[in-house]
Amino acid sequence: MILFQNVNKDYNGRPALSNLNLHIGKGEFAFLVGPSGAGKSTMMRLLYREELPNSGQIFMGGVNLNKLPTYQVPRLRRRLGIIFQDYKLLPKQTVFNNVAYVLRALGVDEKNVEKRVISALSVVNIESKKNAYPTELSGGEQQRVGIARAIVNGPPVLLADEPTGNLDPATSLEIVQLLAEISQRGTTVLIATHDEPIVNALRKRVIALHAGQIVADVDSGVYELKGNS
Amino acid sequence: MRIFRIIYRVVVESLIGLKQSGWSNWFVISILATALILFGFIMQVTLTLKTLVNSWGSQLEISVYLKDSCKPYPEAQKIGAMKGVEQVLVIPKEEAWQKMRKSFSVAYVDNPLPNTLHIKLKSPTYVEQLAPIIKAMQEVENVRYPLKVARIINQIRRFVEIGGLFVMLAMSAATLIVIGNTIQLVIQSKQREIEILSLMGVSHFYIKGPFILQGILYGTSSALIASGLIAIVNLNCEKYVKLQLAYLAPSLTNNLEFGLTPIYLMLFGLGIAVGATGGAITSGRFIKL
Repeated sequence: MILFQNVNKDYNGRPALSNLNLHIGKGEFAFLVGPSGAGKSTMMRLLYREELPNSGQIFMGGVNLNKLPTYQVPRLRRRLGIIFQDYKLLPKQTVFNNVAYVLRALGVDEKNVEKRVISALSVVNIESKKNAYPTELSGGEQQRVGIARAIVNGPPVLLADEPTGNLDPATSLEIVQLLAEISQRGTTVLIATHDEPIVNALRKRVIALHAGQIVADVDSGVYELKGNS
Repeated sequence: MRIFRIIYRVVVESLIGLKQSGWSNWFVISILATALILFGFIMQVTLTLKTLVNSWGSQLEISVYLKDSCKPYPEAQKIGAMKGVEQVLVIPKEEAWQKMRKSFSVAYVDNPLPNTLHIKLKSPTYVEQLAPIIKAMQEVENVRYPLKVARIINQIRRFVEIGGLFVMLAMSAATLIVIGNTIQLVIQSKQREIEILSLMGVSHFYIKGPFILQGILYGTSSALIASGLIAIVNLNCEKYVKLQLAYLAPSLTNNLEFGLTPIYLMLFGLGIAVGATGGAITSGRFIKL
């Protein structure tokens, strides 16, 4: 589903990713771990085509992102669900409307919008708060709304950039377990994080980045930045 | 159906943008409307002057005085075949003399007048072209034509046209800046929505469309105000202007009729074009997708 081939990326000559090779299969769940500045967010931005690599190839579902024309980037992103550390919710919109916002913009009819939003909210167990505003919700609840918005369009790939960065440990674990459940339905999930306890608790694939290079890639691994695979 | 739903949402988003802009809307519309009103009046003056100039132009004549030895009708035929000549009127010296004697009670003396040809031209531009050619003809004693008037008429026409174009360009540029600033504020207030829509794969048309439409709505509203004002002014001043012209130049007033529809169309066209361009430039500059 996701393939990096000899990818290099630098910012003004300062390397962010060096000769990166990685394959993540369909329906796989993986943690991308590493300290700040390791290159996790750069990888995420490359995946949703916010940026292009300096060299190397990136494939998403067989599509070469380097060769993807700008006008087709929205089409690529419709096949991705993106979850953010700061949730990026609209404060003046209800939970329902936050999730429905993108569907309406994509021209989905109102009957289907309602059906799909309710379904997404029930997956993340927040259906009862559909008329609440984000400011009335806890951090964990807000992140659930963010996840509902990411999955409402049924994307085959979910990218989460530090999704537990603003949450307490118990809520963080709940959120990551929720993402693992979604992955079991066939969605590829890649979570960039430096939250050691949640990585260790789930025992899923762990890809460790350090200074722009993969230093470890372990199935059922723990948070470990030393090369051991 | 999907495309109609998207268009509907674009319109809704655009109206939300207008609501968010609040008083800035009136600021933009009043500036653009002022520019369009000025442009409309300049257009009207230009059109009036053009009609006036054409009217004068059509009256421009070359008077040709022939030598006594020459017969007027063959000369009239020769000149009538020239390019740019609309009509040649022959005034035989006998006829002119009789008229003069009737009007001025002239004593019985030998007829001193020459055979005269009044040449009506198709356009004032032919005056300077034909007059020297005719004057150089052997049978021609003298030629008279209102060269200075023709030159001034053409100069006025050019000045008004160039001046009008310059004013229009300057005002369009000023309006573009004001529209840009207003829409930029809306873009800043919607930064989060734009980021979400972009990352969730919503089309560029949907993201940028509302801002372009907002510009178009500014242009349409301004053109509506400008057209209304010009119509009211015309309705109230037309009779007065015609009366003044009838006093100053009675022969011209009949030729000064022109419809205001082209002016209204130009106001709407220009308003929409300036508004849409402002929206497009600003959204292109401040929305990075």
